[in-house]
Amino acid sequence: MTDRSEHNVSGRSAGTRGFGRRSFLMAAGAALATPAILKTISVARAASPAEITFSSAKFFGKRTVAEVVDLFNQSQGEIRVTYDELPPPSASTEVHQGLVQRLAKKDGSPDVFTQDVVWIAEFAAAGWALALDDVISAAEAAEYFPGVLAACKFDGKLTALPWFVDSGMLYYRKDLLSAAGIAVPETWDQLVAGAEQLMKAGKAKIGYSWQAKQAEVLICDLVEFIASNGGSILGPDGKTVTIADKPAVEAVQFMYDTIAKYKISPADVRSWDEEPSRMPFTGGDVAFLRNWSYVYPISQDAKTSSVVGKVGVAPLPHFAGGKSAACLGGYQYGVNASTKNRDAAVTFVKWLSSPKTQLTFATELGLAPSRPAVFDSAELGKAQPFMQTLKPVFVGATPRPVTPRYSQVSLALQSAVSKAVNDGNVAAALAEAKKKIESIVSA
Amino acid sequence: MTTAQAAVRSTYRDAKRQRAIRQAGRAGRLAPLIFLAPAGLALLAVSVFPVFDGLWLSLHNTLLSAQRSDFIGFANYGQLVGDDQFWSAWRHTLIFTATSTVAETLIGLAMALVLHETFAGRGMVRAAMLVPWAIPTVVTSKMFGWLFDGQHGIVNWLLVQMHILSAPANWYGSTETALWTIVMADVWKTAPFMALLLLAGLQTVPNALIEASRMDGAGALQTFFYIRLPLLLPTLMIAGMFRALDAFRIFDLVYVLTGGGPADSTEVLSTLTYKTLFSALDFGYGSALSVAMFATEALIAFGFGLFIMRGMRRANG
Repeated sequence: MTDRSEHNVSGRSAGTRGFGRRSFLMAAGAALATPAILKTISVARAASPAEITFSSAKFFGKRTVAEVVDLFNQSQGEIRVTYDELPPPSASTEVHQGLVQRLAKKDGSPDVFTQDVVWIAEFAAAGWALALDDVISAAEAAEYFPGVLAACKFDGKLTALPWFVDSGMLYYRKDLLSAAGIAVPETWDQLVAGAEQLMKAGKAKIGYSWQAKQAEVLICDLVEFIASNGGSILGPDGKTVTIADKPAVEAVQFMYDTIAKYKISPADVRSWDEEPSRMPFTGGDVAFLRNWSYVYPISQDAKTSSVVGKVGVAPLPHFAGGKSAACLGGYQYGVNASTKNRDAAVTFVKWLSSPKTQLTFATELGLAPSRPAVFDSAELGKAQPFMQTLKPVFVGATPRPVTPRYSQVSLALQSAVSKAVNDGNVAAALAEAKKKIESIVSA
Repeated sequence: MTTAQAAVRSTYRDAKRQRAIRQAGRAGRLAPLIFLAPAGLALLAVSVFPVFDGLWLSLHNTLLSAQRSDFIGFANYGQLVGDDQFWSAWRHTLIFTATSTVAETLIGLAMALVLHETFAGRGMVRAAMLVPWAIPTVVTSKMFGWLFDGQHGIVNWLLVQMHILSAPANWYGSTETALWTIVMADVWKTAPFMALLLLAGLQTVPNALIEASRMDGAGALQTFFYIRLPLLLPTLMIAGMFRALDAFRIFDLVYVLTGGGPADSTEVLSTLTYKTLFSALDFGYGSALSVAMFATEALIAFGFGLFIMRGMRRANG
């Protein structure tokens, strides 16, 4: 018994040893061959590549940002990019902190970074973002959506380069509208009439679902309502506060009225952000919904949605005499002002924002291009047919107030507008907000 | 050897011995201090230093994103006094602290009294009672979010079925009910913890006293009010103080459930400070907010401490 087991053991170990020897030889061969290969490569590349680093919030679809960076590294030999991943955009506060900590050191790392569209002014004012006016010609700049490019400018200087775009849009129930003979609303009045008609007929429990939770999304909805009435929150100089002007007051009054006067929105929207407002829509209870582009794939998945094939998307409505406005979201690129490898960083950021890379991001990661031309490509039509239909929505993309104190302005607005849509005391709440924002932007 | 010589020698010996004793005494007195030093330094580094650094920072206009940090004296505190948002958050925090502490103490006391009695399956019940307290608060928040959902929440459904409500209420989306929904969630979560603390207190009340009072003909209520409650009072005060100080720091329930809204009606000091410090990166004003929080909390602790000390002094005669 003992003998046999001993024999077994030694037999097995002999086998292992044999395998070990074989793989050792293979490894040794590879080790000997590698320097030879590396040598040929470095001879072909002549000089050693410029080393730069790239920090980005984490995005992924079929592929990741890291894989796109690898594509760049493999495509050429002059620049080698090291990728440094930050948390996903859902943890926006942490991404912001991470970037501020890195950039405030001013040691040139990361050379290239990605930033939420609302931080561009802050980073530019702090002197952390390199102005790109010398390297991006006016003709090149004209190739982007005008709203996205406007958001990339601070104080007249281009301090960011567009990456991808997302914005607010109107989702509607195609089936309900065509059955009732209602046209897709182009003005808020038409939306109210359509929603009231569908609710009265018992076709929809909720006429219009949007987001009024005291959070950043409330500011996005606010920008859309105000801009579609020709108003604004801050003047173009970033110092004049226009939130208490007539167009803004009318727009916020309308936000309150959807709940209190027309009753097309339930009081629950006061606590809804994106997901709570989306769920009743995909559950089949809602006629119209304001949300971002992520809702469409969910609404077409039979596992999560009872409205598959019944959903249409259009630009958001506007007030009489106004123009449709869509709050601009998305992340954009920036180059660190203290980079030690300016040329390499600029080359890389231009490659990232090029039509070809934007197409890769669109087809592989589902991020919508910020160049209208890329929308028309046949490849995008094949891979993301829905995304292609969003071009008219993104044309109206409107930036949120451009100021280096954006986060403080946003917190003050969230508090004031939440008050206004809760008690309907619009003029007083906005006058209060104006005073507060004036003291923030003038400091 | 003359006596004089002997005397000199003995004095010399004494002096030497005394010096040795003195030296040993000095070393003996120093030794504990040396051993305590690492712990003391650690406390200074992680507890005392941050408090003073926070105080110092609150006298600056440090804004990380603007790269500025100038000494501005008490300007941040001047702004604080005139800041409605701060005062409303301060009020909400105090209301939350007071109501949740009182409710948790009363409910916890009732639970402790029940669990102190012997009945079949008491061990199981005692263990099960701690489940709400063991659940992470973020999970509790999400759970209450669903329970109190305005459209499909089971609380609304039950109340409508029982004809207590005519239409579903918008629990955490309305300025009148949002803070109370958060108080309810907190009471559900923390009352069992209070019960546990008070149960430990009840077990220290000597059974002989209770038996004696029964023999003297005291009823259950009299036993409770004249024997158990007075003897439980120190535990009750200390548990209440812990709970109040903890409730004052309420953050996660609010952050997950309402984010401070609607209309600032659930904004508390922790969430306001967090937003100022980490969202706006306004370290100067944010530190002033933290100091205000620290001062209020110190006052609460002082109040409880005074009460507890007085009680103890009275008990000791």
